[in-house]
Amino acid sequence: MRKEMKEYNFDWMLWNVFASAARLKSGTEKEYLNTLKYIPYFKGVVEPIMECGEPGRKFLDMSAKYLENIVHAKERGFKTAVTTFCFSPAIFYAMDIIPVGLEVISVMMTFAYKRGTADFLDFCNEAGFTETSCSSQRGTIGAYLAGVGAEIDMIVTDSPGVCDTNANAFAFASAYLDKPFFQLDMPPDLTGDRSDEYHLEDYKALIKFLEEHSGKKLEPDQLKARLDELQRQDTIIAELEEMARIIPSPIPVVYNLFVYASRFLFAGMPECTEVLESMLKAASENAAMKRPGLKGGREKIRTFFCYIDHYAQNLQLWQMLEREGIGYCGNILSRLWAENVPHVKEYGKEEAAYRVDTSSLDSMIYTLAGINSRMPMIKSIRGPYDAPNMWLEDTLALAKMYSTDVIVYNGTPGCRNTWGMVKLLARDTEAAGYPTYIMYSDAFDERVQSWEATEERFLEFLKVRRII
Amino acid sequence: MITAGIDVGSLTSKAVIMKDGKFLSSAILKSKPRPWESADLALNSVLEKTGLSMTDINCSVGTGYGRDKIPFIKQALSEIACHAKGARWLMPSARTVIDIGGQDCKVMRLDEKGEMVKFITNDKCASGTGRFLEVMAKVMGVELSELGELSACSKSPITLASACTVWAQADIIQHLNEMIPIEDIAAGINNAMASRVSTLVSSIGIEREVCMTGGVAKNSGVVSSLEKTLGIHIKKIRRDDPQLAGAIGAAIYAETVSNGGKI
Amino acid sequence: MNKFIEAVSTLENSYIKDWKSRGGRVVGYTCSYVPDEILHAAGLFPFRVRGFSAADTTIGDTYFGPFICSLPKCMLQLAGEGKFNFLDGIIITPGCDSMRRLDECWRKAGDDIEGIMPGFFFHFGVPHKFTDYTLKWFTEETKRLVGALNAHFGADINNEKLSESIKLYNRSRALLARFDSLRTKENPPFTGIEALAVVLAGTALPKEIYNVMLEEYLTEMNEAPGLAGRSRIMLVGSANDDLELVRIIEGSGGLVVADNLCFGSRLYSDAVDENSDPVEALVTRYLSHNECPRMYGDYKNRLLSLKEKIESAAIDGVILQNIRFCDLHGSENGLFERDLEKEGIPCMRLEREYGPLVETGRMKMRIDAFLERLGRRTVAP
Repeated sequence: MRKEMKEYNFDWMLWNVFASAARLKSGTEKEYLNTLKYIPYFKGVVEPIMECGEPGRKFLDMSAKYLENIVHAKERGFKTAVTTFCFSPAIFYAMDIIPVGLEVISVMMTFAYKRGTADFLDFCNEAGFTETSCSSQRGTIGAYLAGVGAEIDMIVTDSPGVCDTNANAFAFASAYLDKPFFQLDMPPDLTGDRSDEYHLEDYKALIKFLEEHSGKKLEPDQLKARLDELQRQDTIIAELEEMARIIPSPIPVVYNLFVYASRFLFAGMPECTEVLESMLKAASENAAMKRPGLKGGREKIRTFFCYIDHYAQNLQLWQMLEREGIGYCGNILSRLWAENVPHVKEYGKEEAAYRVDTSSLDSMIYTLAGINSRMPMIKSIRGPYDAPNMWLEDTLALAKMYSTDVIVYNGTPGCRNTWGMVKLLARDTEAAGYPTYIMYSDAFDERVQSWEATEERFLEFLKVRRII
Repeated sequence: MITAGIDVGSLTSKAVIMKDGKFLSSAILKSKPRPWESADLALNSVLEKTGLSMTDINCSVGTGYGRDKIPFIKQALSEIACHAKGARWLMPSARTVIDIGGQDCKVMRLDEKGEMVKFITNDKCASGTGRFLEVMAKVMGVELSELGELSACSKSPITLASACTVWAQADIIQHLNEMIPIEDIAAGINNAMASRVSTLVSSIGIEREVCMTGGVAKNSGVVSSLEKTLGIHIKKIRRDDPQLAGAIGAAIYAETVSNGGKI
Repeated sequence: MNKFIEAVSTLENSYIKDWKSRGGRVVGYTCSYVPDEILHAAGLFPFRVRGFSAADTTIGDTYFGPFICSLPKCMLQLAGEGKFNFLDGIIITPGCDSMRRLDECWRKAGDDIEGIMPGFFFHFGVPHKFTDYTLKWFTEETKRLVGALNAHFGADINNEKLSESIKLYNRSRALLARFDSLRTKENPPFTGIEALAVVLAGTALPKEIYNVMLEEYLTEMNEAPGLAGRSRIMLVGSANDDLELVRIIEGSGGLVVADNLCFGSRLYSDAVDENSDPVEALVTRYLSHNECPRMYGDYKNRLLSLKEKIESAAIDGVILQNIRFCDLHGSENGLFERDLEKEGIPCMRLEREYGPLVETGRMKMRIDAFLERLGRRTVAP
């Protein structure tokens, strides 16, 4: 790794970037515009976020807070847990453990830096970690493996049974750094007594592990507070999801990113609720005025990203969507599986969703096991893709509900479980009447395919298929 | 005792003749498609220079991709062993050897005795090998040998968007069309190369002294870029042409083989 | 030896043909975590599915996307070419994500290509760790398999039959344990190539016949002269069922005397407890196996097992190979290299493709260099 990368802790650097960006709004509009001249490097990422108004500003605040928690965990007496985006952090906050979500941090670096996480991706090779593994974990774990980040106390994942490359990254890190490791293992089925029992027993074992390694006991009051907050958040998200059905959608395209980012960073905490409330207000105003969320004022087509987004620097994916008037109906990360959300009610999928019950400690633990097993990917990428409640069923149902014109698949070359069958999925969705586009890029590494090339090919697809 | 070492590579073939451990002469030629032809040409070329004949050679060892096809050698040895041996002869203090050849890239670690203890290779991908530079030089319309000098004059090196040889070509063409100074493009190419190689080097660890062998060692741009990225000084081989490391090592091993020693 | 090699050189070997001609049925399984004693107890021929002999992956590539390990692609290729049409059933596990997707890829290929779908198609879940509740779940899953086999094949798998099958399999394991000690003695009487043939044959022959063959072979080998003067290699990493790969690895001077592979020692290590309930005994033995990196978080134990084997088998060097895109072995090999080299055990990492051996020159060069390094160790003072 280059010498410069070892001069400062990378998470401290990243925190400073986002904290400074968050402070930009504390002046007047004129001061803000003037300041942009002095940050030519970061102007590209700041502007698209700030142009969203209050939700964008709150998003920056939230991201800065997340990193601040990590950087100051040790001095504030908190333990840290390296974890994955599809692991609901509510339990950590309930136990005063600071989550370090690898993929969300990778997204932040890929947005903000020209070189993205390239140095840390490369360091993984030096550490003996395979370069074919998913770049979403590699981009950040490389930094921790190199010892240029905050101290890690434990490593927790819930991807076994869902995503090998994800689970493997955490297992590798735990062996390399010699840190305690816990895996929530997912059975091939989502529903049914066997799976319910499995999820619950596993979650109880998780709590024992967290108590042992944090030195803190799970307090029912604290947990209730987190779950109450989470319920508030679920209600807001349900409203946003209902609104997203309107044609044209009144929800600005980047809100999807803010929705899932907030949940992954701060589920159960007020920081997440604030961002969601702010978005709901803005979207509701648009809906009342029958105004589309797209800044250009015209929604030419509606897309559904059946997997994840592309995190090219400066939010170029969303800039392209805005520029081309392409509506965005969500992706696998933004859809929620609480019992009160529109798609659960529409398709009678209560069994596949979770219920929040805070009446007792036991019921709350059962709730947590339910929430976690219904997190994005964890819910729908188990067993075969065409089994009940799995990826194909979800994709087709959501594409229909949200009146999608095009389905787009984007991931990373490390995604073994989707590349293993994405052609099959595309065949099925095409057969169902949805033109389906497979992106061969890497959401976290532009060296695989530049954003320019990715965008060009996508727009060419839309032209060739006469969609736009 | 007169020994010969033949190194048949994908782009170039090298032959070296040594007498009692002393360097007599060498030859470097462009490789033919058939390795035995290359070996013949290279050896004949160096024999001519020294005025010796085949019968004067006590023992010869072959290395390189075509080594098993050379009919007149006593034994074939891996390039890794031969490069390590040759590098050690070229620089007795060498502990880390970075060899960037036409088609692959190897890094070797030697112990105090000069024996190879660890190695890593990249032989599946063109980027990080001489092939990458060759292709880029062609796109730029310059000689491969000019890349090093050109980059030394660069004020503002470009950053290649991709390390992939295939994609990088399109990138270069775009820069040329935008009238970016040729020195800056050359520097960008050398930097991309160095970046790729440095990952390989870091995987195996560095120990001083570090030296470079293989054709690319003559590209001063790559060498200085690599020094910057790795943060160490790469000691230049002055005793002879670093491209001959494999053939020299083979010639030295030939003496051991001739004495019945086990490699 | 010839009988073993013959048994593994073709997929539908003469024993399978014979079995089928007498009305017998064959059920394939893709993973060493499937307790195939159950298939035996059902009166079926358990066949370990291989990817060996696929000449290209045109069919495999059609259904699987890019960036996927070539092992399941080769398996699908063979299935698509009708080479597995002799199977009456197939059991697929989430051994790893690439192998998990063989399920839907085979089914969809089955929609397009007539006749390649076995009548019995089962997705068998396997937990990724060994705890009381995962054992419970796995027990239920195994019972579910038993029920499905009974229903489809009209079998009657009961405890008595299971106990018999377990005894038979344990006999194999005991014989293979003897085989293992022959393999790791000072001058082993057979090469790594032959050893792989012996182990592979156990997955492609009726156990009764195999045990007899193996016992004869072991008696013969007790008296056989040993192979001296070779570097003792342990082969670690991704699955391999190709004798030719071992030939390249043994190269000119190596001998693979040990492994921890999927088509290798994983199959025969540890017996099933014959004194407890058969289903419980089976699931306990199978799930407690941690040699596969799919059992996350267990690296330390795997390292310990490796070190023990390296010592007991007097290993000179370890070759850590992985199939390209195998994240699990590809990463754990990095950890093994780091920790074994620290203890002075020479290691070499080798990444390769599974399937037709097309890059032998490249592999040979690296293996030669590694063997040269090992050779010097035994010569130098």
